[in-house]
Amino acid sequence: MGKFILKRIGQLILSLVIASILVFIFVRLSDTDPVAVILGGKQTSQETIQAIKEKFNLDKPIFQQYLLWIDGLFHGDLGLSFKYQTGINELIGPRILTTLGLVSASSVIALVIAIPLGIFCAVKKHTLWDRSGSIFSLILAGCPSFFVSILLILLISAVAPSYPFTGTYSNFAEYCQRLFVPSLALACTMIALASRVMRSSMIEQINAPYTMTAVAKGVPQGRILFKHNMRNAVIPVIAIVSIQIGSMVVGAVLVENVFSLSGLGTFLVDSITSSDYAVVQDITIMLVFLFLIISTLADIIYAAIDPRIRLK
Amino acid sequence: MRTKKEKKLGKLFTPSVVISLTVLVIILVCVCFADVLAQYDPNELDIANMLKGPSAEHWLGTDKTGRDILSRLLYGGRTSLLGALGVVGISIVIGVPIGLLSGYHGGKLDSILMRICDVIVSFPALLLAFVFVAAFGRGLFNAILALGIIYIPMLAKLTRSLVLVEKNKTYVEAAKSIGFSDMRILFSQILPNCISTMMVELTLDLGYAILDLASMSFLGLGVQPPTSDWGAMLEEGRIYLTTSPLCAIAPGIMIIVTVIALNIFSDGIQGYLDPSQRKLPSIRSYRKLMSKLAAKKNAGKAAE
Repeated sequence: MGKFILKRIGQLILSLVIASILVFIFVRLSDTDPVAVILGGKQTSQETIQAIKEKFNLDKPIFQQYLLWIDGLFHGDLGLSFKYQTGINELIGPRILTTLGLVSASSVIALVIAIPLGIFCAVKKHTLWDRSGSIFSLILAGCPSFFVSILLILLISAVAPSYPFTGTYSNFAEYCQRLFVPSLALACTMIALASRVMRSSMIEQINAPYTMTAVAKGVPQGRILFKHNMRNAVIPVIAIVSIQIGSMVVGAVLVENVFSLSGLGTFLVDSITSSDYAVVQDITIMLVFLFLIISTLADIIYAAIDPRIRLK
Repeated sequence: MRTKKEKKLGKLFTPSVVISLTVLVIILVCVCFADVLAQYDPNELDIANMLKGPSAEHWLGTDKTGRDILSRLLYGGRTSLLGALGVVGISIVIGVPIGLLSGYHGGKLDSILMRICDVIVSFPALLLAFVFVAAFGRGLFNAILALGIIYIPMLAKLTRSLVLVEKNKTYVEAAKSIGFSDMRILFSQILPNCISTMMVELTLDLGYAILDLASMSFLGLGVQPPTSDWGAMLEEGRIYLTTSPLCAIAPGIMIIVTVIALNIFSDGIQGYLDPSQRKLPSIRSYRKLMSKLAAKKNAGKAAE
């Protein structure tokens, strides 16, 4: 197991190095001059421009700029934003909380809805209930999260106009209140996905020989279903959900945008629009890092559950 | 010279396929004949009639600058569908040859190409598109290009796996013994036998390309105003959600209907090609994840 974890961490580091180089190069391919972004269109003297270049390390060779960036990342220093000219750390801090909260809340919502739905469809296999369950997940899978968000806003403003789902928050209760509706919107794809996986793996378990043994021994049906079958069936769901969480980190961009939540995603898109590339490269590498960490963890958890994998 | 499929084929025209196909054809016809069907110029401003509800003149009402929503939907469908076709087209033109060569020749070339594909796949797709757009500028063309590149590895991997199965069949051996060149065998013998299975993936990809492109436009990174596009219309309309909800809902529903119809259609073809899979409706990412899990399981078994 230790060897397997080491190997996966090695792969993780390699992927991160490649990603950081790619992001760094791509951002510099843009033909927007960083100095122009920093100045915000103001006219200044040559000396000021030189001073700015020094302050933002733009006067150094590309290779050195890359090393300085990586060195900063290791020390938890994300550098300066072109547009705001303040430390990116302070800008990003509260936004990470929003994005992480959004993603974790919607994973929980998705699991709470998808697992019972999957079990229900598996038990009622090939009936009208099952068909409607399939159609429901098919529709959910085809709905873009930003459109679901819009529909939810409409629904709330029609049904419960007093429910506060936008604006700032000052305490934890308000934070949860603000995040609930966006999380629901973000959870849609995951619900569709997880309920399908749960359904098919549950059917597999119900048809397994051990279930027949349990039936023959006279174990009550509810107990077979929830104690024996569900435990086994949930393993692939966990694996898939953990892989999916990674892409949700990026999918959150769209939902944050609709609900004007100031998360990492909105900040990223704003920075792309205003050519603030210092922020773009930081957020991108952070999202890639999160994505890769989660998928590595998923692999390790999966290997811990299923010992055959780590023998590789 | 296509060999006859030994596989038993299922029924193609099931009710769900017929319905989804009809929906797709209707959408396609409406979008193609947008010039004839649209009563207004999609970019014609009419400030006096802004944000009006549905009426006899404007069936779906007007948007914030008085433009006819129905006309914009029709023309916007062109941008969305052509854009999605562009994305899938790029992935076909580059992905299929990569998959064919990689699967047929194997060896070093194969492992290098597949490593590159693995690297691309291991990053979140939309994020790559964002970085690409950050580097080369916002706009429809760059968004299509970015998504096209991101869609390449998946198609290349699929093609490769199909070629790996096909290349050991007797008809390939026969073609070799006649003395056909490798290129001829690949493109005129193996490729036609893979196309049917590829169609399943391509129709799904088309649906996801529509979604991804709409997401990009919704964030203001894809289609730029005043061009009409379903994703961009949603973005423009959502500010007026409470006063005139049709501005945002109409394009949203068009996106959903098209994507779901494509999903069901793809599912239908899959059921036709492989009737045993009939009961498992396909969602692309679901299948992608399942194949990942299967690969892991196989790796584990091989080690035993």
